Amino acid sequence: MSVVTQSLPTEVGARVERSVADRAGVRRTMLEGARDITPMVIGVAPFGLAIGAAIGASSVGTAEGLASGPAIFAGAAQLSVIQMLDSGVTPAVIVLSALMINARLLLYSASLASWFRGSSLPQRLLLAIPVIDQLYFTCGPRFEQGDLDRRGRVAYYSGAASFLTSTWVATQAVAIVAGARVPESVGLHVAAPLALAGLLAKSLADGKAIAAAVCGGVVAVIGVGLPYSSAVLVATLCGVAAGTALDHAAARRGEGPRSRLDGAAVR
Amino acid sequence: MNAWIVILAVGAGTYLFRAGMFVVLGRRSLPAWTATPMGLVAPAAVAALVASLLFTSGRQVGAVPVAELAAVAAGFLAVRYSGNVMHAFVAGMPVFWLLDAVVT
Repeated sequence: MSVVTQSLPTEVGARVERSVADRAGVRRTMLEGARDITPMVIGVAPFGLAIGAAIGASSVGTAEGLASGPAIFAGAAQLSVIQMLDSGVTPAVIVLSALMINARLLLYSASLASWFRGSSLPQRLLLAIPVIDQLYFTCGPRFEQGDLDRRGRVAYYSGAASFLTSTWVATQAVAIVAGARVPESVGLHVAAPLALAGLLAKSLADGKAIAAAVCGGVVAVIGVGLPYSSAVLVATLCGVAAGTALDHAAARRGEGPRSRLDGAAVR
Repeated sequence: MNAWIVILAVGAGTYLFRAGMFVVLGRRSLPAWTATPMGLVAPAAVAALVASLLFTSGRQVGAVPVAELAAVAAGFLAVRYSGNVMHAFVAGMPVFWLLDAVVT
């Protein structure tokens, strides 16, 4: 991939970081990224098949359906776009709803971007393309170990992203082209919430994360009727506020240092 | 035609979300106080998405999706204990099939 083979300035003031200065090191680190994201990729494959089957069963055309995966590259939003197109919702409403669902990516990108400070703008624009939950969950913890320099992080991220994106697009394409007519009793529609439930289980590192998740889930259910899928964004913000408030309250009560609660904090 | 415009508009808007902070944070870093809230975005957002998917794209809109809820709970617990996200399906799908057959 051109992203990783271009020459990058060497890291200044590096900690004990593993050198991936040569091609073999870059390739090894890319493979490490691909290997580490494998459970996520396997977890996302049924979700991709489910979306492909939903496209096949909808009135959305094959070409548009095939293009929607790589164009949006975010399953929950894509699924809502397909469902709303199929039921003839006004285009502006569909777009607004999907963007409400995807607003979280702005915040994922803020924490992922901090690992690539100093990279060239074109490279950062490329790295932004695959930003998504699974990649965030795989790369964040790995980068926090601190042994990869920036070039290593680019290689790791690219390896993980390539595997995830290619599988995502391929599973959808297979389901759309094969025109899979899956009976409802197979429960393919459960694949989407199940894939995300697995991620949720991985994200609950501490008490404040649990508080954020409980609040986010409850508000999303209460607000299901809110217009433009805004419940998802409102619920996310409520969850973040609840978790942060809990963290502050714990700090004020002097329940040990805040760093104890901040174990999973992102940079 | 409308479908193309919608898909491309959603794709473009989503890319702006993704690229926004990569552009803004090219040299700068976020203030330290943002670390805690930023770390909470993932649990809050994913929980909201799961809840939203369960209650909006189920087959019986408006009804409580019992089999789906139980499947998701089983998948969640399996991953919580094994640490492997693949196990969400291993545990969740059989629960769905069983309850779906019993309930309907």
